[in-house]
Amino acid sequence: MRTIEITSEEREKAFSTVKKPEVIEKQKLDVRYHVEDYEVRDRPRRFLEAFAAILKHTNYRFALEHFVRVSAKCSRCSVQCPVYQVTGDPKDIPCYRSELLLSIYRRHFTLAGSLQGRITGKGAINDAIIEEMAESFWNCTACRRCTLECPVGIDHALITHLGRFILSEIGIAPRALVVSTREQLEGKTGNTSAIPVPALVDTLEFLEEDMEEEKGVEIKFPLDREGAEFLFTPAVSDFLMEADTLMGIAAVFTATGGSWTISTNYYDAINYGLFYSDRILERVIRKLYSESVRLKTDSILIGECGHASRSAKYYVPVHCGGENAKPVYNIMEYTYRMLQEGKLKLDPGIITEVVTYHDPCNIARQGWIVDRPREIIKTFCKNFVEMSPNREENICCGGGGGTVSIDEIRPYRTTVGGKAKADQIRATGAKYLIAPCANCKKQLRELVEDQGIDCEVVGLHDLIYKVIVFDKAHKKVTSEKEG
Amino acid sequence: METLLDFARGPLFRLTFIIMILGLLRVLILDIYGAVEAYRRAGDKRLDWKNAIIKTLRWIFPFKSAFAQRPFYSALSILFHIGLILTPLFLLAHIQLWEDGIGISWWSLPHFWADFLTILTIIAGLGLITGRLASRGARALSRKQDYFWLFILLIPFITGYICANTAISPSAYQAFMLIHILAGELIFVLIPFSKIAHCVLMPISQFIITLAWKFPARVDDKIAETLKKKGMPV
Ligand code: HEM
Ligand code: SF4
Repeated sequence: MRTIEITSEEREKAFSTVKKPEVIEKQKLDVRYHVEDYEVRDRPRRFLEAFAAILKHTNYRFALEHFVRVSAKCSRCSVQCPVYQVTGDPKDIPCYRSELLLSIYRRHFTLAGSLQGRITGKGAINDAIIEEMAESFWNCTACRRCTLECPVGIDHALITHLGRFILSEIGIAPRALVVSTREQLEGKTGNTSAIPVPALVDTLEFLEEDMEEEKGVEIKFPLDREGAEFLFTPAVSDFLMEADTLMGIAAVFTATGGSWTISTNYYDAINYGLFYSDRILERVIRKLYSESVRLKTDSILIGECGHASRSAKYYVPVHCGGENAKPVYNIMEYTYRMLQEGKLKLDPGIITEVVTYHDPCNIARQGWIVDRPREIIKTFCKNFVEMSPNREENICCGGGGGTVSIDEIRPYRTTVGGKAKADQIRATGAKYLIAPCANCKKQLRELVEDQGIDCEVVGLHDLIYKVIVFDKAHKKVTSEKEG
Repeated sequence: METLLDFARGPLFRLTFIIMILGLLRVLILDIYGAVEAYRRAGDKRLDWKNAIIKTLRWIFPFKSAFAQRPFYSALSILFHIGLILTPLFLLAHIQLWEDGIGISWWSLPHFWADFLTILTIIAGLGLITGRLASRGARALSRKQDYFWLFILLIPFITGYICANTAISPSAYQAFMLIHILAGELIFVLIPFSKIAHCVLMPISQFIITLAWKFPARVDDKIAETLKKKGMPV
């Protein structure tokens, strides 16, 4: 990847802040995102206490020990970081970001480090370092590209993940994420978008009518059906913003005769814990899992959402019984399987425009779902072009790691975080950009708008909805009903 | 001078070499112990071993991965490592020392190739130093030890080359030889306590980071309790 230039106006816009000076002064926190008021006094001490408590009960310590021992400071990771490639600021080199936390670990939690620290009197944690971490860890989009490039195998994204977790324990976390999570875990609606059940039911009924009209087929969203094979849970924001994706998914289930259900008791797969707190991560996972237990479904099926899929896929087993936990799938896995089994037919003659595919970091980086969506797309798109690099080496949309939900940093996301992506999209000349992830979709729409790219951002199932072919049996159901 | 040299070649060599071996064993054992403990606590014990092995091999033999991004730097680094590892091990003069000491010996590099590798290592090392100094990013990252290592590692190569290839007076020879040996021994002692421990730790990195994402089950309550936050709202 080359270094990416941005103009000085763009730079100014990206780094400007909407925060009021008096708030910054009061919270002693010169960062661009909003933070709820928190106890400012004694931050360093409380940071260390939180760090110690986390080390005590988790598995981070052995990884930190290893990283501290091997870190070679070779700066190779810099070529992979989409943020550093734009800002060119050494502070945005992944290894530099990691060193902020590693040096605190070394100084306060290792014998050699604390001896050295006491002799030289240097390196102890202070307010300035906390402020630097609060900024640096949230400049990162948690895309994990740097991990691909570290020759000694340091996982910078794991360190950022831990850094954000510790900061959140002393009250420093983006307000946007905290407020949504509070509603999800403790609020009346129990979901991050605060959608009440009647509104959900209304929306789905409305979509059902629409689909019947458009397709001439009765397509249902089955609610609260005990014993279904899949408990389907999308990022809850899809119910507000991604109607086409949901309709596509319902259409696939109808065409393939799949057994699925949506729970009206809990219908949100968003898990901001993955972005800022392992404790939250765990609570959300357990809430999701207990819903599938309550409805006695065989498995959990996550909608088009990268972080929700990754958190459920990896942390349902961690917190809910290891190998014995119910399996978790992403909707693309189901659709692909149906295509393979010949149960799903897609019309290759409808979409003639150039189409490209964006790999969401959370499902592509580890090589989990990379070829399957491409094979689905190729069955109905003649004009499919790849962005480069792609698959496991994809470039982040620029809104990863929860930053997309922080509206006040939109200029940063669309000029710095997403600049490399914007260049990639432009180079394809695509009319449709498929991004099977709620977060990526939101970010990419803002990105193409702010960057003036003529391209429509859609979900994979949005297009499937356009091209799905129902056989006669389905059509009959509706005509009989009408007759 | 003679006695000093003999001391450096004999007891001091044995001592520092043992420190290095024991030190490396120590960090390796600590690392593996930590990983085993983490595995024991992990809520989900299924690991993607295959992926970790592939990634490890890709970095130990970085012919493809390394050149994709920074070909020049990678080439320097690889040549540097080849020289660092092969030259000391397969130099005839070193092997003879082992033979005299404990009676084992093995294949040695022909003289020409030994010289060639030595020069190559020195050039690659100087290249890496230049690279570090020339790049703004690398400069910002570098600690003192990062420069120190590139510098100290070259000393045995430079002095060794001088001793083997130039006609210098016996006393100058002895002085260079002493520096050569002492620098080598300093390196031995420091290896296990510095980033050069990567020579034994790097092969397990990919396993460590694969495992590190497998958290222990149910820690929310425990952390909350330790921090006296139980029952507090989000
Ligand atoms: C099997 C053994 C080894 C492996 C797999 C290995 C691998 C690596 C890797 C992956 C790096 C990181 C960045 C780069 O590519 O430069 C590195 C750097 C380095 N290694 Fe090794 N290494 C090994 C043995 C050694 C030994 C025995 C020494 C010295 C006695 C050494 C000295 C260094 C130094 C000084 C650097 C930093 C280079 C720089 O400043 O750019 N390595 N090594
Ligand atoms: S995770 Fe992505 S954004 Fe963050 S430091 Fe690494 S490469 Fe940069």
